[in-house]
Amino acid sequence: MTPLVSIRKLTLEASTARGTAHILRGIDLDIGRGRIVGVVGESGSGKSSLAACLIRLLPANLTRVSGEVVFDGTDLLALDETAMNAWRGARIAMIFQDPMTALNPLFTIGTHLADVLRRRHPGVSRKNATARAAAALASVGIADAPLRLSSYPHQLSGGMRQRVLIAMALLVEPDLLLADEPTTALDATVEAQIVALLEDLRRGFAGSIVFISHHLGLVAQLCDDLCVMYGGTIVETGPVAEVLAKPRHPYTRALLACELDDDAEGGRLVSISGEVPDPVTEHVACVFAPRCPHAIDACRSSVPALRDAGPGRRAACLRFEELA
Amino acid sequence: MRAGAPLVEFESVSVVFDRQVRALDDVTLAIRQGGIMGLVGESGSGKSTLCRVLVGLTPLSSGTVSVGGRRVQDQLAQEPLAFRRRTQMLLQDAVASLSPRMTIGRTLEEPIAIHKLPRAATLERLAAILRRLSLPPDVLAKYPHQISGGQARRIGVARALLLRPEIIVADEPTAGLDVSVQGDLLNLLLDLRREFGLTYLLVSHNLNVIRRVTGHTAVMYLGQIVEEAATRDLFVAPAHPYTAALLSTNPAVDPRKRHKAIVLQGEIPSAVNPPAGCRFHTRCPVAQARCASDPPALVELEAGRRVRCHFPFSLGRQRH
Repeated sequence: MTPLVSIRKLTLEASTARGTAHILRGIDLDIGRGRIVGVVGESGSGKSSLAACLIRLLPANLTRVSGEVVFDGTDLLALDETAMNAWRGARIAMIFQDPMTALNPLFTIGTHLADVLRRRHPGVSRKNATARAAAALASVGIADAPLRLSSYPHQLSGGMRQRVLIAMALLVEPDLLLADEPTTALDATVEAQIVALLEDLRRGFAGSIVFISHHLGLVAQLCDDLCVMYGGTIVETGPVAEVLAKPRHPYTRALLACELDDDAEGGRLVSISGEVPDPVTEHVACVFAPRCPHAIDACRSSVPALRDAGPGRRAACLRFEELA
Repeated sequence: MRAGAPLVEFESVSVVFDRQVRALDDVTLAIRQGGIMGLVGESGSGKSTLCRVLVGLTPLSSGTVSVGGRRVQDQLAQEPLAFRRRTQMLLQDAVASLSPRMTIGRTLEEPIAIHKLPRAATLERLAAILRRLSLPPDVLAKYPHQISGGQARRIGVARALLLRPEIIVADEPTAGLDVSVQGDLLNLLLDLRREFGLTYLLVSHNLNVIRRVTGHTAVMYLGQIVEEAATRDLFVAPAHPYTAALLSTNPAVDPRKRHKAIVLQGEIPSAVNPPAGCRFHTRCPVAQARCASDPPALVELEAGRRVRCHFPFSLGRQRH
């Protein structure tokens, strides 16, 4: 089966006061049909930029966008703005991080949901739209759905608003759903509710999901595949359980070691020495080499390719065979 | 003061804002000399208010807070500068806490004038602290926008240490830090405790940080402490249903360590009009009739563990 989305050599550059910032440095990634792909990485690794490319909501200061994002045979990067707009809110939908700012304060919840429906299914009757909107609210666990349709965003708590955003995304029935840290802005017990909701909903959802998070535990729980980003590149991809059980890239391994293990007490806490790569530096070596305990001269003189590392797995490390 | 004696004591502390928001309600808590007290809870639970009360930024509505056996209110009235030196705060947003219009050096020298410290000796001490924190000396000539987030945090630590504090209140010291560097900052805080004999009150929403770093943990809900115990005991066997639920929301990377999250209904009620009886009963999966009318007191359940619940351990969970 061909993947839903094939990203090839995706490169983003922006001009800054300090020079050209390399935001994405030649990303290759396939998003399988019906798969949930977790994208993890530290701040500045490019994970949100990757999602922004998929729905093509890119900042204005970009100086270079190159490569391909082929979605079911269509290169999204080659579409003009009008053609791209037809994809948004139809085949591609997005759940944003901050439910406080993603809803328009001047419109009711019902208007938000009906707008989404009318865009997806032009000509849907008002009555039908209201009924489907109420059903969507009920499906994300909002009680009193008919009452909530006439509420304004400020009358809802943060957790309720995030439920509304999820309901909007599901009404679209997209082929690709982008979720950018959808639980980060929520309190722990509310986050647990939303995670439980997402686990329930994934059974009834046929599309693919790109789930961006800095929380490895959450990704391990929710996702099928894992994509680890570092400094604008992908360093490792593969089925989530296998990557986490046996990471092949030293960065993935280091990141796992930094997760404060919940049964170790006392002792030193692990960190990765050095700093994250500066986006304005040109890469002529492995992006992780300056912080990698296993780096050798070869790592500092060429950029390692993201190559096969077992069934469904790829890693960008010259030495993963010998380090395994 | 002998080691192990309480350095900080909160006694029935309440803080009411605008005569209606009960931000803190009857909080009693002791932090021993040299200890690290962790504070967890969701937004609106009163963690930050408790921190601000300790450093004297928020006045009490009732109760007392003492540091070293003397009331904070008295110390602030009689010798405000000495008290400010004793208790220093690490602010959550380290970059925003530095003035963008002053060099780091000017910011760090401000206490010399305010506290009338001997200039030459203090600058020497500052240089030693910068070396200890691995900050290059040229950082003093820079402006906040010219340094990294990690450096800004260490500047915050340097600023606090300069005044030779006894107590450091750290409100979310690792929030927004990448996981690859948070270990460094926590190791530093632990080392400094030993080197400078510090006592910490540490707020974090990261349960792994609390578990690894603190000796005792207090769990807050709607302005009250619902459970306090030695950190290890609390994590191994939470007694309060809220603690059990909160700890269960932390998904582990290792599938063998994963357990089913206890998903609570609803969200934290408003502190303006908190539920009658036990404040948690509206969301508690094991609440009984009594909980809706009879507010439980914070009682010592076993040595070193206090719980505010009529039915403790009723929502236990199996670990490993």
